[in-house]
Amino acid sequence: MKSFVTIIKLDYLQRTRSYSFLITLCASLAIAYTFVPEPNANYSTIRIADYVGVYNSAWFGYVTAIMTSIFLSLIGFYLINGNIKTDIDNRVGHIIAATRIRNLSYLLSKVLSNFMLLLSIVGVVFVMSIILFFLYNAGYSFEIIHFIKPYIFITLPAIFFIAVIAVVFEVLFEKYTTLQNILFFFLFSFLVLFSSKNENQFLFDVFGNKVVIQQMEEQVKNITKSDETKSLSIGYVLGNVKKANTFEFNGVDFSTSFIISRFIWIGLGLGFIILLTPFFNRFNKENNNTKKATIAQKPQGVKEIMLSVIPKVTENYRILPLLKTEFFLLFRKGKKWLWIINIIGMLLLAVLPLKIAYQMALPIIWFLQVHRISDITTRELTHNIHYFTCTSYRPMTRLLISKLCSAILLVLLLASPLLIRLSVSLDFLSILTIVLGATFIVMMATWFGLLTRGKKLFEVLFFMLTYTNINGIAFVDYFGGYEHQKFYVVQLALLVIVVTCSCFILKKYQLEK
Amino acid sequence: MKLEIQNVSKKYQRNTYGLKDFSITIEKGILGLLGPNGAGKSTLLKMIATVNKPTQGIISLNKNNIAKDANYMRKQLGFLPQDFGVYPNLNAYEFLEYMAAMKGIGGSNLKSRIHQLLNGLNLIDAAKKPIGTYSGGMKQRIGIAQVLLNDPKIIIFDEPTVGLDPEERVRFRSLISDLANDCIVILSSHIVSDIDTIADQVAVMKNGTLITNGNQDYIINTVSSKVYETTIKKDDLVSFKLKNLVVSTSRKNENLQVRYITESPTSNSVQQIATLEDAYLYLTKNN
Ligand SMILES: Nc1ncnc2c1ncn2[C@@H]1O[C@H](COP(=O)(O)OP(=O)(O)OP(=O)(O)O)[C@@H](O)[C@H]1O
Ligand SMILES: [Mg+2]
Repeated sequence: MKSFVTIIKLDYLQRTRSYSFLITLCASLAIAYTFVPEPNANYSTIRIADYVGVYNSAWFGYVTAIMTSIFLSLIGFYLINGNIKTDIDNRVGHIIAATRIRNLSYLLSKVLSNFMLLLSIVGVVFVMSIILFFLYNAGYSFEIIHFIKPYIFITLPAIFFIAVIAVVFEVLFEKYTTLQNILFFFLFSFLVLFSSKNENQFLFDVFGNKVVIQQMEEQVKNITKSDETKSLSIGYVLGNVKKANTFEFNGVDFSTSFIISRFIWIGLGLGFIILLTPFFNRFNKENNNTKKATIAQKPQGVKEIMLSVIPKVTENYRILPLLKTEFFLLFRKGKKWLWIINIIGMLLLAVLPLKIAYQMALPIIWFLQVHRISDITTRELTHNIHYFTCTSYRPMTRLLISKLCSAILLVLLLASPLLIRLSVSLDFLSILTIVLGATFIVMMATWFGLLTRGKKLFEVLFFMLTYTNINGIAFVDYFGGYEHQKFYVVQLALLVIVVTCSCFILKKYQLEK
Repeated sequence: MKLEIQNVSKKYQRNTYGLKDFSITIEKGILGLLGPNGAGKSTLLKMIATVNKPTQGIISLNKNNIAKDANYMRKQLGFLPQDFGVYPNLNAYEFLEYMAAMKGIGGSNLKSRIHQLLNGLNLIDAAKKPIGTYSGGMKQRIGIAQVLLNDPKIIIFDEPTVGLDPEERVRFRSLISDLANDCIVILSSHIVSDIDTIADQVAVMKNGTLITNGNQDYIINTVSSKVYETTIKKDDLVSFKLKNLVVSTSRKNENLQVRYITESPTSNSVQQIATLEDAYLYLTKNN
């Protein structure tokens, strides 16, 4: 038991003792700051028709707990998945496989360390919500119970379940990271949309917020004295919402069956893990593959290299050969079947109505390349190639530029059917914004890669960017899919230039060090 | 070709030095760096290879300060890091082509040069398989092939023979002596036999400092009349070790034959011809 705790602790330390985790925490703080809109803000998070709660303890506690439960479930998955793969990549996997740890303990330890990681983020958000309460001080008394209760019964079981799902997916789909990411997104959408009006079905709500929302709706109904279902919105609703009316929300008395259901979710998660244990191959798969493929060396006479006679090469410091190789590397990266999806996507770009192709298909196809571009600057670190790259000739001007250009080219290649359609209709402004968008995404990948020395943060942000774009929020439109004036393009161009410059400055600084 | 290292220090954290006030000059030929784990060999080699910059001091190649003009060094450099990785999904040809592109070499001969290097390093049969499936020694040889892609004038091998089987070690040594004609080769090891037959110059280091440096005879001279062999009882070994620096022991019937270094040998000892190994142990233990 003691060693089990030690394993979790060390796994947790290994993951949190990194610069990128610190940045993730800061990002969570920034996001948590927006959970309860500042009194004059022009967006809303939770709003029932024209009503929001008065800013008392209960409203702060429940709203932030619900928002955390939903957002951290979505984003958290992408933050924590790949934990087992990391063990393989770090070559710790084989050492672990040779130890006495049981499969169940290993998987459980991964679940718990996932959970701890998310819990740290929840902790930060929790503190933030209390600080916000005092910051927006509306004259209500501070009651800690309204903060603790929703976090414990709503948020914690939800993120525990996500911690389980991450491990389950990794055991089931092993190295198919992209598949895991896509599947989780569908699962999440399903779970969120699974709306239940019936009291009993609240038990099936992983995120545990329906019961609270219903209570809020009841209260609003009582005020307006109307019986129709109120239009409820959760999530960021932008725009100048007209001044909302307020109602006093005083928390929810959770029914015993609800509380039990939350524990059942936890138990269910543990059950999944136990069921899955026999399927966990304990890093064996990789072994088998290697064994099969390992090359038996034919004994042969000792050949000597005569360095003086082997052909001489010529120096060629031009960038083109390097660009070619980098492009080829990017192209080959990942599973081959992904290219089938890419080709289907390109066909869709060619045949779909222009607007849908531009606004929906393009960002999705680009997002599917996330694994190709997210590690554009960290790949050499994870594969331990950086000694070679940083001693190569002119690592900045040749290597970095060719890396970036090849990625931009690849992204543009995928957009090419759309680009051709746009140029036929002489819409050069859109073409320009697509090129800018491609550059922007690659530069963001580079920037976050350099900053965090990892790819996770960029992947999560790229996901959020794509998600908001296909939901039609024009504010985050980085590729010009929505109606924009020329001025917007100029702004975008300036942004791209700023990001690009800071990438080069950052890289130069790191090389100096 | 002249590589000068003047008073170079590398500070890692406050008060922890990887290397301290290190000076040496190398003008063509093979320099062997010997030192126990943590002596600072990799720290030094990484600075010469422009991976890191010295905290203090100057490293210059033909009077060019390489901290200022790193690309001058990189153009003529071949570097095998101690701990390097590969892109596991590329095969040997592709990986070496990638390395060539990074180093800025090309031309019509590149393909056949890669082919011959792979052939010479005994990797040709596996060359079309992904490097991820290679054995440790094969991966090491890919690293060596990578060094020789261009015609490097400064060649740095950090523990090149790790993972190579005896036959490959022999081959590597003859490869190195073929290299050294007109360029500088620096190789590090903590195994004396990897260095003793090939190095023109040997530097022994410990705890980030240079203990001594010179040609092999010079280094061996430090222990030349101090190496003895004697036979002792098994039970006496512990007390014998406390008093003398034991180089090696071997079983001889019921007793042990010990080779040791001393100024004042015990009565039944026989003087031996000193080797580099004796000198290395003497220098690293006594300083
Ligand atoms: N990145 C680093 N951060 C802090 N200390 C370091 C770092 N790299 C090396 N050191 C320290 O510098 C000293 C020298 O290390 P170095 O790797 O140069 O030794 P070495 O001679 O190559 O040893 P080995 O034979 O094990 O390869 C060691 O004490 C080590 O702890
Ligand atoms: Mg070393």
